Amino acid sequence: MKCEWVKQNVLLYVYNELPDDARYELEQHLARCADCTAELKTTRKFHAMLSELPVEEPSPNLVAASRMRLQEGLETAEQGRFWHRLIFDPAAWLRQIRFAPALAAAIFIVGFAGGIATTYKVVSGTGVSIASGPVSAAAESSITGIQSISQDPGSNHISIKYNTVSTQEAQGSLNDQRIQQLLLFAARNNYNSGVRMDSVDLLTQEPNNTHVREALMYALRYDSNPGVRLKALDSLGAFVKSDPRVRDVVLEALIQDSNPGVRTDALRLLDPVRADSSVRSVLQELARSDQNQYIRSQARIMLAQLPEFD
Amino acid sequence: MRGLMAGQASRIDDTLLVREAQRGNRAAFEELVRSYDQAVLRLALHLTGSEHEAQDVYQEAFLKAYKSIGNFRFECSFYTWIYRIVTNLCLDHLRKRQVRKEDAPVATDAAGEQYDVLDQVADGRSGANPERDLMRRELGKRISHALEKLTPRERMVFELKHYHGLKLRTVGEVLHTTEETAKNTLFRATQKLRGALADMR
Repeated sequence: MKCEWVKQNVLLYVYNELPDDARYELEQHLARCADCTAELKTTRKFHAMLSELPVEEPSPNLVAASRMRLQEGLETAEQGRFWHRLIFDPAAWLRQIRFAPALAAAIFIVGFAGGIATTYKVVSGTGVSIASGPVSAAAESSITGIQSISQDPGSNHISIKYNTVSTQEAQGSLNDQRIQQLLLFAARNNYNSGVRMDSVDLLTQEPNNTHVREALMYALRYDSNPGVRLKALDSLGAFVKSDPRVRDVVLEALIQDSNPGVRTDALRLLDPVRADSSVRSVLQELARSDQNQYIRSQARIMLAQLPEFD
Repeated sequence: MRGLMAGQASRIDDTLLVREAQRGNRAAFEELVRSYDQAVLRLALHLTGSEHEAQDVYQEAFLKAYKSIGNFRFECSFYTWIYRIVTNLCLDHLRKRQVRKEDAPVATDAAGEQYDVLDQVADGRSGANPERDLMRRELGKRISHALEKLTPRERMVFELKHYHGLKLRTVGEVLHTTEETAKNTLFRATQKLRGALADMR
């Protein structure tokens, strides 16, 4: 009877899916029962045989090609989504405005100017004076959205929650956590590439901090300005050996970056890890068919210096 | 690289990224993609046996995720959610292929050319021992034929458990079913495979 139970559960045992007590019970039984031990052996063997159909890692080329295709797809989808939102979902659109202060300000200024023009017309046309609200132009243009409006029942007390944009200043040393946070934010989000450059520049002084390294990798991948990417790349160079994620990002830059300077630099930085299998396969690809002649020949030279393995 | 075994810390990271992506931040979405896309490709590649189809699954899955991320309510982890999308698409592919292949023993790719599922597999490890290589190739071929005989659902459960090491509980979650059902499906799949490969032992 026990053997029946074991036969049913031996598969789960092999897959490490038995709860502790059942596991213990099963092991106790196996120690005593030759039949069930044989069954376990068969199951293990079968398990190992199935693993002869290996799960391969996707090649760097496949990953890169898939990502590139997806990016195009997202581009199209995003445009569709933007118009869709604009037309069908103004609430979501307004929500987005919260994150685009410049756009919000522009819209308010246009609205305000329109308001003044209308008022002027009304006043000059009919002579009726219109009471202006107590909200000044400056205060109004800093409002980026109204979150909620509620009235206390039975009274005329109204509370409105709204968001505003205001400029603030933070000062401190590079070790200051607040400063670091702001720098990290600026490196990813600022519209002004000069500001991104400055923040990446400062961040490169702290490359051992994981958040900083994350931000530098992000800049290398996504920043639209080649100067910023180059700066990030140079500071990551020291880590291609120790951090496989850095190596992946640098490899990606080598394959995909639109700027030949960045690619050349990436190639140079990868030299210490040229024996790595993923680096090697990329080098072979580059040596065979890259459009850039310098990179092609450089990749060949690096490959030629590799020791033979097989 | 974060693969299937994404740790707790990265899950928390995901939450922030998901929130950003829901607000329309594409860079945040792309960062999410990069955390999971290699695992997605690995799964699709092993399931379909073709880079071409794997790439299609990849593209469809992430576009779908992008379009519907606004509806993600944090009821499960993002990881489970993205795997749901991917497994659903893979199931569609498997079903379509089963219909297509009723009478054709050799798989064909989208261009209509025949391909060998194991051509890509053997490449990386060829070398020292050609005889052993050939045997391994034969064995691999037998295994993938046996796997193709499973129903799409059995195949999926087996794939996620055996080849990608997911816990049965997660498999159940991903496939919108209970752990118990996943377990029974795994038993069934294993029985069938044993039957089909009985002479290989």
